[in-house]
Amino acid sequence: MKRKGLKCLKLTLCCAAAAFAVQGCGASSDDGKIEIEIVQYKPEAANYFKVVEEEFNATHDNIHLTISSPNDAMTILKTRFIREDYPDIIGIGGDINYSYFVDAEILSDVSGYEGMQYINQGYLDIAESLELVPTDGTYIIPYVANAAGVLYNRDMFEEHGWQIPTTWDELLSLCDEIQAEGILPFYFGFKDTWTCLAPWNAMAVELSPSDTTKQVNKGQTNFTTEYRELAEKYLQLLQYGPEGPFAYSYNDACTAFARGESAMYTIGSYATPQILSVNPDLNIDSFVMPASDSADGRTLNSGIDLGFCVMADCENKEAAYEVLNFLYADENLQKYIDDQNAVPCKTGEFQLSSMLDGMLPFIESGNMTDYQDHYYPSEMSVDALLQTYLIEQNTDNFLTNFDANWQRYNRDIIRMVQDYEAANGGS
Amino acid sequence: MKNTTSAVKANKTVMVLLILGLSTIIFPLYMTVIIAFKQPSEMTNSISGLLSLPKTWSLDNFREAMEVTDFWNSLRNSLLISVSTVVLSIIIHSLMGYTLGRNKKSKFYNFVYLFIVSGMFVPFAILMMPLAKQTAELGLANWVGVILLYVVFYMPMNVMLYSGYLVNIPLALEEAARVDGASTWRTYWKIIFPIMKPMHATVAVITALAVWNDVMTPLVIMAGSSQNTLPLAQLNFQSQFGTNYNLAFASYLLSLIPILVFYLICQKQILNGVVNGAVK
Amino acid sequence: MNIFSKKNDRQRTFLFITIPILGLFICFNTIPLIRGVIYSFTNFRGFGSYDWVGFRNYIDLFSDARVGKSYLFTIKLALVTTIVVNIISLILALGLNSKIRAKGFFRGAYFLPNILGSLVVGYIFNYFFTYILPALADMVGLESMSTSILSSPSKAWIGIMIVCAWQAIAMNTIIYISGLQTVPEDVYEAGGLDGATGWKQFKHLTFPLIIPFFSINMVLSVKNFLMVFDQIMALTKGGPAQSTESISYLIYNNGMSGGQFGFQSANAVVFFIVIVAISVAQMKFSGSKEEQL
Repeated sequence: MKRKGLKCLKLTLCCAAAAFAVQGCGASSDDGKIEIEIVQYKPEAANYFKVVEEEFNATHDNIHLTISSPNDAMTILKTRFIREDYPDIIGIGGDINYSYFVDAEILSDVSGYEGMQYINQGYLDIAESLELVPTDGTYIIPYVANAAGVLYNRDMFEEHGWQIPTTWDELLSLCDEIQAEGILPFYFGFKDTWTCLAPWNAMAVELSPSDTTKQVNKGQTNFTTEYRELAEKYLQLLQYGPEGPFAYSYNDACTAFARGESAMYTIGSYATPQILSVNPDLNIDSFVMPASDSADGRTLNSGIDLGFCVMADCENKEAAYEVLNFLYADENLQKYIDDQNAVPCKTGEFQLSSMLDGMLPFIESGNMTDYQDHYYPSEMSVDALLQTYLIEQNTDNFLTNFDANWQRYNRDIIRMVQDYEAANGGS
Repeated sequence: MKNTTSAVKANKTVMVLLILGLSTIIFPLYMTVIIAFKQPSEMTNSISGLLSLPKTWSLDNFREAMEVTDFWNSLRNSLLISVSTVVLSIIIHSLMGYTLGRNKKSKFYNFVYLFIVSGMFVPFAILMMPLAKQTAELGLANWVGVILLYVVFYMPMNVMLYSGYLVNIPLALEEAARVDGASTWRTYWKIIFPIMKPMHATVAVITALAVWNDVMTPLVIMAGSSQNTLPLAQLNFQSQFGTNYNLAFASYLLSLIPILVFYLICQKQILNGVVNGAVK
Repeated sequence: MNIFSKKNDRQRTFLFITIPILGLFICFNTIPLIRGVIYSFTNFRGFGSYDWVGFRNYIDLFSDARVGKSYLFTIKLALVTTIVVNIISLILALGLNSKIRAKGFFRGAYFLPNILGSLVVGYIFNYFFTYILPALADMVGLESMSTSILSSPSKAWIGIMIVCAWQAIAMNTIIYISGLQTVPEDVYEAGGLDGATGWKQFKHLTFPLIIPFFSINMVLSVKNFLMVFDQIMALTKGGPAQSTESISYLIYNNGMSGGQFGFQSANAVVFFIVIVAISVAQMKFSGSKEEQL
C-alpha cells in the first residue's frame, strides 16, 4: 500500500514536471547556433558583461552567448556542479576555490588557447602556484587583477605636504605626523572580518615568502616562525586607527574615508567604487604598503581577480575560445578596466585608473606577489582568527592557534602534498 | 458600573503601552523610508546626518530599483510561488493536521505525527545539496519544484498548528453530521474545514511570509534558470565590496507592500473567526 | 453493521489522506536527509570526488573547540530569546485582543518587523548599535555602553537576542491571538461573576485554554532560535572574535561556502538529533501539563 502510494506520487511528480518544466538549454539551440554559457562571479561587473553579451551576439551568427553574473555565484556554481549541469565557461577569482576546482578535475586544460601568449607571465605563475599539487596543464586564463595596499586622500596629502612612505619606519612616522595634526591616519572596518585580511595580505607579501603555505604543507616550516613579525607589526598599525575598530563595518569605513575622516585606508582597489559612490569628488591615489626597513623589498600585493576557465564538460571548445577571443580583445578589456578600476592581466598598452598611479611602477615592472589568503581554506576562517587576535592582542596564542587550525583544516591537502612529494622525490 | 470604569482605565493603560511599544517599530521604519529616498552621496556616519530627511523626495530610487530587479517579472514569479504554496498548504496541511489530530490515540498516526514534526528540525544546509541533485533528477529544477519543496518544508509546523487547533473543536460537531449519514470526507469539507478558518488565516500568513522572503530555496533549486523571484533579484544590490543601500531599501519597501496587504486581509479572518458555539 | 462500515469509511479516509502526503514528505525530506547522512561519512567538499572516512567526522566533531563554542552560544541565545519573546508576545496578544481603539492598525503595525528583509534589519540595527546606542549611553553617562555592543565578544549576543526577539514577537503574537480567539466570551462572563479579573482571570481562565498554543509557540521558538542564521549573517557574521557563530552559521558557512561539506553534514546530523531531543522533551512536558488541566 505504502509503496504503491509512493509510486503514484512519483508518477504524478514526473507528469507535473514534464508538463511544467521549462526546457533547459542544450548545446545547440533551435536555429542551429552553438550555445555558449558563461557564469562569472563578479556581480558588480554585471552591466559590463551584459554589453559584451549583446555586442558578441550582434556580431556572431554561428554562436549564441549567454553571460550571467549572479550574486552568490559560488553557491550557484557548486549546486550546479552537484547536479552536473555545467556552464561552458566560468569566470572566477584565483583563490582556494580555483585550487579545489582544479583538484576536482572539472576544468579543462587551456594551455592550447592561442591567446595565452599575450597573458602576463607573472599572473600565469600565480595561477600555477595555486594548484594544490603541480599539474601539467593550465586551467585558467587570467583576465584582470586587483591590487591592495594603502588608499590615500591625495588632496589631504598635498595640502599638508606629506610624503609617500617607502619603509615601515617611514610609514609609522608619517602616521605620527598625521596624528599630530589631529587627523586619523587609518580607518578600519574590522566588524566585517574579511577586511582584517587586507592590511595583513598587504604586509605579508613583503614579510613572508609567497609560498609560505606550501612550505608548511610540506612540513618545512610553521606559521609561528613565518608570521611572527607580520603579526607584531599588525598590532602596531592598529593604534593609528579609530577607537574600537570592531564596531565599524566595511561600509562604515568606506563612508568615513570618503568623508575625509581619515587620511588613509588599507584596502584594495576594489573598494574605490563604493567610496566614490559616497563622495564622487574624492581624489584617491594609492601606494604599496611598506612593511620592512628596505624600500627595495617592497612588492605589490596583487592577485587574479577574475579569470576564465573552460569546463571539462564543454562540448565545443572552439566556440568557447572564440568567445574568449572577443572577451580578451583590447578594447573590451579596456572597457572593463575603466568600469572596475582593475589591472589587466594581458600585456599591452592599457590606460589604468588614476587611483592606481602610486602602484603603476610595480605593475609595469611586474613586481607583484599574490595574496596570502588565496591559499587559506575559507572554512578555517583566518579572517575571524585575525579579528580575534586584534581584539585579544596575544601574539603567541594567535600563532599557536594558527598552526593548530592549519593542520586541522588542511589535513587532506597536506596528506596529498606529502604523497606527491614522496612519489616525485621532493623538490 | 464600577466594573466598566475600571475596564476603561485598563484599556487606557493598554493603549499607552501599545503606543510606547510602537516606537520600536516606527523608528526603524522611518529610517527605511528616508534611506530609500536618499542618494548614496547623502549617506553619512553621523547621527544627525542619517536621521535627517532626504534633500528631495524623488521616486528615482524606486524607478531604478524596479528596473534593476525586473520588478514586474520577479513580482509575478514571487506571487505565483507564494500563492500556490499557500493554497496547497492550506489544503494539504489541514487535511494532514485533521487526520493526525483526530487519531492521537493510534500508535501509527502518533508515529506519523512525530515523524513529520521532527522534519522541522532538519537543518536546511544538510538537505541543500541532496535536494539540488534530486530535483534536477526529477526534472523539477524550476518553480514547480520550489513550490513542492515549500509544501514539504512548512508541513511540520502547519500540521502541528492545525492539530493543535483541532483540540478546541469538539468531536460532537462531527458526530452530529455522521449520524445524518455524511461520510468523513464530506464532513471534513462541510464542517471542519470552514471552522478552522482562523487557523487557515494564521497558516496562510506564516507560510506566505516565510516563502515571500526566502532566498536559499529558489537560489539553490532554480539556479541556472533565468527565472528570478523578488528576493533573488534583490541580491543584486549587495556584494561584499559594495552595497547600494538606497536602491536596496527602496526595493524592499516595494516588495513589502503585497505581503502587508495580504496580512491585513488575513488578520480580519483571524479576528472574525471566533468558533461559534464551540464550548468545551 | 451500519456502525462498522461507518468506522471503516473513517479509517479508510484517514489512510487515503495520510499515504500520499507522507509519500511526498518522505520524498523531499527523508530521502535527502538520508543522502546527507551518507555524506557525513565522507570528506566530500560539495563537488568532485570524495573518499569514505568512516567516523572521522564525528570523532572530530567532539574534539572541535569551535563547534563546542557554537553549541554553547546557540543554546544560551535560544533559551534567553525564547523566554523574552514569549513573555512579550503573550502580553502583546492580550493587549491587542482587548477592547481598544484602532485594533486593526496596531495589529498591522506590530506585524511589520517580520516582513522587513534581513538586509534592512541588519543595516538599521547595526547603525543603531554602532552609533545611536553609544551616543545615548554617553548622554546618560553609561561608561560600559559607550562602544557598540556588537563589537564586544562578551556582549554581542545581547544585540543578536534583541533583534531576534524584535523580529519574532510578531509571529508568536499572531499564534497567541488566534489561540485567544478560541476562548469563548462566556468563559470571561462566567469568570467575571466569580470575581476573577486581571492576573487571576488570566492564570485560571485564559491561560489553561491557550496551553496548546503556548506549547506550539515554545517549541517553535526554541527551534527557530536554535537554528538562528539570518540575524547572525545580518549583524555580526559570527564575530567579534568568533563569539557569535551559531551552529547553523557554521554548517552553512563552512559546509556550503567552505569546503567542509562532509564534516558539516556530520555536525548537522548531530544538531538534528539534539533539537529533536529537546523538542520531544518539551512536547512531552507540555503534553502532560495539558492533561493535568
